Amino acid sequence: MRYTPFILPVLFSLFFQTASAVDPNQSKPILTVYTYNSFTSDWGPGPKIKEAFEKNCGCTLKYVSLEDGVSLLSRLKLEGKNTKADIVLGLDTNLTAEAEATGLFAPHEMTIKKSSLPNEWKNPSFLPYDFGYFAFVYDKTKLKKPPTSLKELVEDKDAPKILIQDPRTSTPGLGLLLWVKKVYGDKANEAWAKLAPRIVTVSKGWSEAYGLFLKGEAPMVLSYTTSPAYHIISEKKDNYAAAKFSEGHYQQIEVAGLIKSSKQAELGKEFLTFMLSEDFQSLIPTTNWMYPASLSKDKLPDAYKSLVDPSPALLFDETEVAKNRKAWVKEWLNTLAK
Amino acid sequence: MLNLANRKTATGLFVVVLLAFFISAPLLSLFFASNLLGRQFTQAQAVTLSFWNNPYLQRVIVFSLLQAGLSTLLSVSLGLIVARAFARFGKFPLRHIILSLFGLPLVVPAIVAVLGIISVYGSHGWLPLGSKLYGLTGILLAHLFFNLPLAIRLLLPVWQSIPQQHWRISSQLSMTTRQQWKHLEWPALREALPGVVLLIFMLCLTSFAVVLSLGGGPKSTTLEVAIYQSLRFDFDPSLAVVLSLLQLGISLLLALLATKLTYKPDVEATLNTFNTQIPHSSSKLFLGLLIAVASVFVLSPLLAMIIEAFQGPINEVLTDSKLWQAAAFSLMIGLCAGLISVSLAWSLLSASTQHAYWGNKKLASLFELSGSIIYVVPPLVIGTGLFILLSQTINVFEWAIPLVIIINGLMGLPFVIRTLGPAIRQHTMRYQRLCAGLDLHGWQRFKQIDFPLLRKPIGLSMALVTSMAMGDLGVIALFGTPETATLPLLLYQRLSAYQIPQATITAVFLLMSCLVTFWLLEHFIGKQQKAQYA
Repeated sequence: MRYTPFILPVLFSLFFQTASAVDPNQSKPILTVYTYNSFTSDWGPGPKIKEAFEKNCGCTLKYVSLEDGVSLLSRLKLEGKNTKADIVLGLDTNLTAEAEATGLFAPHEMTIKKSSLPNEWKNPSFLPYDFGYFAFVYDKTKLKKPPTSLKELVEDKDAPKILIQDPRTSTPGLGLLLWVKKVYGDKANEAWAKLAPRIVTVSKGWSEAYGLFLKGEAPMVLSYTTSPAYHIISEKKDNYAAAKFSEGHYQQIEVAGLIKSSKQAELGKEFLTFMLSEDFQSLIPTTNWMYPASLSKDKLPDAYKSLVDPSPALLFDETEVAKNRKAWVKEWLNTLAK
Repeated sequence: MLNLANRKTATGLFVVVLLAFFISAPLLSLFFASNLLGRQFTQAQAVTLSFWNNPYLQRVIVFSLLQAGLSTLLSVSLGLIVARAFARFGKFPLRHIILSLFGLPLVVPAIVAVLGIISVYGSHGWLPLGSKLYGLTGILLAHLFFNLPLAIRLLLPVWQSIPQQHWRISSQLSMTTRQQWKHLEWPALREALPGVVLLIFMLCLTSFAVVLSLGGGPKSTTLEVAIYQSLRFDFDPSLAVVLSLLQLGISLLLALLATKLTYKPDVEATLNTFNTQIPHSSSKLFLGLLIAVASVFVLSPLLAMIIEAFQGPINEVLTDSKLWQAAAFSLMIGLCAGLISVSLAWSLLSASTQHAYWGNKKLASLFELSGSIIYVVPPLVIGTGLFILLSQTINVFEWAIPLVIIINGLMGLPFVIRTLGPAIRQHTMRYQRLCAGLDLHGWQRFKQIDFPLLRKPIGLSMALVTSMAMGDLGVIALFGTPETATLPLLLYQRLSAYQIPQATITAVFLLMSCLVTFWLLEHFIGKQQKAQYA
């Protein structure tokens, strides 16, 4: 009896270890892609992309799915050179400079032939696969006159209450921080102080805030201009809309990169090429609910044509974000924590 | 005899060392990781020094203590009142079901509970609080939802442990309710109370998702949240280590205080403790009202969720084979974690009671303390630290599931120690001599004496840890295993794919799975208790 406490855990561990180590396709090369959870879930693009890619590559595509883009970067820093990843998919442009600084990424040596991005893509380590614009989403039946600019949202004391995400843990949260910075510059702090009384809550991630919004906790939530497309296509509901702000909308570009130490460099490049092909790109609008990075506009679903025009796209240079992020977040923190 | 007892001590000490390893190894590996990342070793010192002058961190500490203190005070004091009402009201038809349901909040994943609480108290809820919900109010409300039923469940057995004969005597002496409280109930409660307070305080101190979702913003940042942020976003392991040590220190201090305050009475070995009747109860109406209010408070968020779930696409969710796979996988993880937790706690408690029996109280409480304290090291810290440590030598992904099980098992330890501890202690006081006289030990003793008599608390412990581990999201999300989703992970995937109605149904399904597992384990492991006493 006295050994039981130690035997049991060991037995269980061994059982699971062997159970997970058995791989039926061991003869084929394995391409390991680190990505985020909502990408690999049944409702994300992951499963279909795996199927389509495996048809031609003669390999097994293996996902390792972490919580979100931020966890991807942390995981890479943790693993360093020992990383098992061949491809990392799901970082955004606010994280790329820091990711590049790890020295783990290899240049992709590719060009995007048909870019749908509003600006030219120059980054040598990462290739974009989709992009979107942050926006405040509201229910048209409940909110008749949404603010028409970020300034109106910030400065009008009677503007609707909002749900936002924490810039320390969520990419939309960081997006809003940069958005306010872009519009207000040095006066961002004062803007946050004015906005603070109307922030119902600051959630950890996008899903919590959006869930609260759908439960009616606040009239507006920080999300994407493409969010209403989900409700139109999947739920046949057209009452949700993104408020168009006259200053423009902050942009998020999601990217993938090749790991330098990967033993599957050829396969990895094949995957990146596949990533920019129509097979991959046409899945994005209805699974990841973002704009595909390389797909002509007429191939977008109809619902996407009814979405607000987010131009001008606002975006900080990635090195500027990397340089200032900590200071800006600290500033934000000290304003909101008061 | 001595040899046997020494073996018990050795096993207990081994578990203590194991736990110490699981606390210190991750912290150390994180600490050295800051160095590997090209930072100076002195960074951690710098962090510690600048710490006291940092207004943000000061606010974090003050707020952590404030919210945890208030939550504990509310939960335990209200818990006492309601548990007393339950004890004095006696039997009524729904009693068992209500108490079973009171086990649920503990095992409900925080995000599910938060959604339930918002359904009740949100702007469109049954009892709208508006945006006042977000802030300290919301945190206290959620913590009360989690911990009031826990306090009730942990404190109620104390009344059951008061021997029948004592009540009879109190009745013969025509004691008033107040005198009964003073002479019977309070002395019995004194043993359990410090432990319960400590457990609930630690739960509130380390509460994470509740604070993040209902806190309303950075104003309500707790230490646990700050640790998470330092690891997740800033990737500053040295800060995470310093903050973890601080959290550990606060809890250790309180734990020592609790140990000092704990008064462990010697129990008369022959008295019948299976009491059903408490004479001279106060007004039944008032007691019934108390029970009803507490039940409504605890059950309304769950009920609100269930009602919402029934308005969604139930068929679509329930016919998804992934859901059932995930349920089976969650159950397996839960059972393994439960088994690990109960076995480890058993070793600790055996050693602890052995020493308590010898009057060696300090060593006895060390064993119990080591089991409880690991809870305040955030799973993220343990996980990340182990990850750094192990990734040098083995493929961590292949070991992800065992690691998830082990960490979940460790996190369940304080609950097992709380539920099983008092029972084992009384049991040892009663049967130690008998067993020694019969030369009954090892497996035979467990089979013949310990298990039959302790199966109720063992069943409860197993049920608690299993269903808690089933609802775990934090640990499993850390390792990122794609082929095998657990129910909470599936729920989270639904949430991140805009599928709120489907997520609500998944949440309710998870809730039901936990309830059924809890009930089955508690029932089947703990079933013969009554027969033994009858």
